[in-house]
Amino acid sequence: MSTIIHHQEEFGTLQRQRVLRIIILGIVGVLLFRLYQLQLFYNVELGKKSTENSLRSIVKEPIRGYVFDRNGNLLVDVGPSYTLMVTPAEFDERNLSLLSSILHTDPASIEERIDRGRMHSRFSPTRVKRDIDFKTLSAIEESIYLLPGVSYQVESKRYYPSAAHASHLLGYCKEISDAQLARMGDYYKLGDLIGFSGLEASYETMLRGQKGFEFIAVNARGQILGSFEDGRNDVVPKEGFDLILGLDAGTQAVAESLMANYRGSLVALDPSNGLILAMVSKPDFDPSVFSGVTPIEDWNRLNSDSTKPMFNRATMTRYPPGSTFKMVLAAAALEEGIIDEKYRITCYGAYRFGNRTFKDLHVHGSTNIVEAVQRSCNVFFYQLIHKVGLEKWGEYARRLGFGQPTGVDLGEETLGLVPSSDYFDRVYGKGKWTQGYLVSLAIGQGELGVSPLQMAVYTAALANGGTLHQPHAVQYIRNKLTNRVDEFQHRTQSAGLSPQVVELIREGMKRAVNAPGGTGGTARIPNIVVAGKTGTAENPHGDDHSWFVGFAPFDNPTIAVAIVVENAGYGGSKAAPIAGLVMERYLLGSIQRYHARPKSVPRVSVDSTGVITQAVQ
Amino acid sequence: MFEYFKEYFDFKTFFITIALVVVGLISVYSATYDAGAGSIFQRQLGWAAIGFVGMIVTAILPLKTIHRLVLPGYVILLLILLVLLIVGKTVSGSRSWFSLAKDLGGQPSEFAKAATLLALAAFLSRTTTIISDPKHLFAAIAIVVVPMGFVLAQPDLGTSMVFFAMLLPVLYWAGVDNFVLAAILSPVIVAAGALFGTSFFIISVAASAVLLYVSRRNRFIAAVAFAITLAVGVSVQFVYERLPSYQQKRIMTFLNPEADPLGSGYNVLQAKVAIGSGGLFGKGYLQGTQTQLNFIPEQWTDFIFCVPGEEFGFFGASIVLILFGVLLMHGIKIASACKNRFSSIAAIGITAVFATHVLINIGMSMGLMPVVGIPLPFLSYGGSALLATMVMSGLLMNFWANRKEY
Repeated sequence: MSTIIHHQEEFGTLQRQRVLRIIILGIVGVLLFRLYQLQLFYNVELGKKSTENSLRSIVKEPIRGYVFDRNGNLLVDVGPSYTLMVTPAEFDERNLSLLSSILHTDPASIEERIDRGRMHSRFSPTRVKRDIDFKTLSAIEESIYLLPGVSYQVESKRYYPSAAHASHLLGYCKEISDAQLARMGDYYKLGDLIGFSGLEASYETMLRGQKGFEFIAVNARGQILGSFEDGRNDVVPKEGFDLILGLDAGTQAVAESLMANYRGSLVALDPSNGLILAMVSKPDFDPSVFSGVTPIEDWNRLNSDSTKPMFNRATMTRYPPGSTFKMVLAAAALEEGIIDEKYRITCYGAYRFGNRTFKDLHVHGSTNIVEAVQRSCNVFFYQLIHKVGLEKWGEYARRLGFGQPTGVDLGEETLGLVPSSDYFDRVYGKGKWTQGYLVSLAIGQGELGVSPLQMAVYTAALANGGTLHQPHAVQYIRNKLTNRVDEFQHRTQSAGLSPQVVELIREGMKRAVNAPGGTGGTARIPNIVVAGKTGTAENPHGDDHSWFVGFAPFDNPTIAVAIVVENAGYGGSKAAPIAGLVMERYLLGSIQRYHARPKSVPRVSVDSTGVITQAVQ
Repeated sequence: MFEYFKEYFDFKTFFITIALVVVGLISVYSATYDAGAGSIFQRQLGWAAIGFVGMIVTAILPLKTIHRLVLPGYVILLLILLVLLIVGKTVSGSRSWFSLAKDLGGQPSEFAKAATLLALAAFLSRTTTIISDPKHLFAAIAIVVVPMGFVLAQPDLGTSMVFFAMLLPVLYWAGVDNFVLAAILSPVIVAAGALFGTSFFIISVAASAVLLYVSRRNRFIAAVAFAITLAVGVSVQFVYERLPSYQQKRIMTFLNPEADPLGSGYNVLQAKVAIGSGGLFGKGYLQGTQTQLNFIPEQWTDFIFCVPGEEFGFFGASIVLILFGVLLMHGIKIASACKNRFSSIAAIGITAVFATHVLINIGMSMGLMPVVGIPLPFLSYGGSALLATMVMSGLLMNFWANRKEY
């Protein structure tokens, strides 16, 4: 029997027809039986009820996590908030004016919310007004029998009990936008609150918890008949996790008040691990604006304000760092063996390069590296940049964390800018830029951008002997379901500087604050040795920015600070005194020298508990 | 004239298709009744009109023309699927939607099904193809497995299941030995068994062993087939872990609906309540509380069967089922009546595609099948699916009209 004949025989034989017919009949039969089972058998079994009942799920909102500072002070609290709900299918449009008069909201916007809800599901309650006050709630309760389809739901809202705002760090929650709703997928529903910035956004999935659901049987009119299958399918909401921050609320409050009338930013880190002790960005906003319903006027005002109060200057702004950046060049020159501590130049108060003259503030005379940092001698560094070169300088800047994200757990941040020869080629064209462009980089000017956070990481690295820690706000995360506490695991990286090099730079910074002729004397704290470096950064948009970076105590630093005060002039006159007071508050628990302060230090008023409440200019 | 019409016009396919499309339109209208989504109904109506034209054109084209279009059509769709994989934009968890063709509602894998089964039929009906020759058999399998792989990689589990499901009946019809079918089927049985847990795995292994043993021609080959089957079963867990989480969730929800009463399980729960509450005669058109509650998110697409189930009850839903049953039986009748081997095999392929869709879609609405998200032919909302299925009806009509041609 040949294969072909065999093949011919088997093609579409009567037997195969029969088998396929039986399979088809089997499929249809099984489906019909199941249909019978569901529609007639179970139907009878459950009685008449099931023909009228349907299932509805009621969302049970979880309690969002709390946020504490390092000492257990509550920074972000949660409280109840009442939300007025309307079930579109049950709501009688004729009651719109009654509802609007109770809510003091115009009927058009109520109608719009109901219509949006209807698009989603006309039988599920939709949020019409969030955070109604108690008086309105009782007025609703009184007229609820007149208002079919109207109900309310208890939700949680944020409260900010602390004197410290830390508004940019903590961030805020907001009603989810349509774009987010489309992107974020299944979990979120129309009208849900979602973390929008800061920690609220970056820890959203941990803070928010998990929604619970209650299944209830309702009849065709939407009246509740009881729980479905005795609540066997119900899901209990899961509380959000708590965040315990490294932030010190007292220090944060002092720092905020000291910077109250300025624009700028301050970041304080624990040099041993990168924990954020304080983070200020001014101007800021009152986070409680976002705790309930944010009136559209407030939202627009905050967003259209030309001083950009919503913007986190600590992480998002690229500032020229000025002289505070000189330690980068010092580190490169020392570590590469281009100079040593004995190397000296003579400063005549100016530096000629090509046909340009770069000025210094003073004539510093014979200067070594330590003295150059102490006195902020520009001429010393002008000369040095040509010895070190752009590539090496850029390499050390990157090794010290510049031109790249710090990895902070706050979401978006600027990379800053550390130029390379590729960068200059791109901007000016190959061969169209000269070594003269490097001169200003030597003193932290020119095409260089850093965020205050990057400066703080760099300062902390100089403080701790050369280790870069990923800056992070969150110290612990507490899972309230299991009571398990997890520590934030931060990344650590060495800048690759030898101890002698770091020690020389630290010595220069110590002298800058403590020795005569140092520029940062205004940062001194009684009985504690502070080290630091001032900066006065020219910028094209107005007066110089006042910078200070520093750490204390010198021998075993526990705080490193970077501060920039926009358009405030010399680093030594504005930034350094504020940094000194902030470090004092952190190290000593209070500020003890109100009367003996230098003139340039802002005057502050203090309440009975020792917390600074107001800065007076 | 009428005599001629009676002889060559396929009334059954034509009227059943029209009836099912009408039921579909009625259901889509009801499912989107309150959402202000009249536009969904209107779009579907437009597609039904396009589909009608497509069906008639396909029915009256000369069979030879269709045969000639098969290869280029297959190659083009393969290329489209490939391009889709490479540049495809992810929409609703899979790349099935061409972002460019999105407005046209073009979902190429719907058409790829038809192109693939026609290509398979064309290959198997060549006089030079000897199906018992392993080389030819593998070529036939490759024709299906290549597009199936593309679709699976999208990843669209449901549609790739349809590709697989059409392969077996077509090969069977074309005369492939029972053992070969058993060898193809048993890894699938074992793979499915592996997902259900150890005891199901053992049962499925035993079942496929029996299947292979009974149909064996050669003991050694049977042993090899069994070894492959086992290997597939064992590696299922590995593949499962690489599926996108939403499909994992759907499979797991099918196995254990209580595990996820909010996600896919919620849909099934709702769908079952909707159908179950329909009773004998249903709640009346536009009166289905479940349907009108919009609690079934994909109701006008994957869960469309809930609408006739709830609103027209057992009476209406069983009519829909019986219409499908008659159409499927008629498909086999066409295949048996066709003297032309190409159209005979293609008719079986179309019937198999329809049957798989019906089984999986209606099965999942009633909690019998995993929620893998494939449309119900003629009823589900979706332009490309409707057009593709109506064109397949047109093919059946064409085959019937030309059944006496060699």
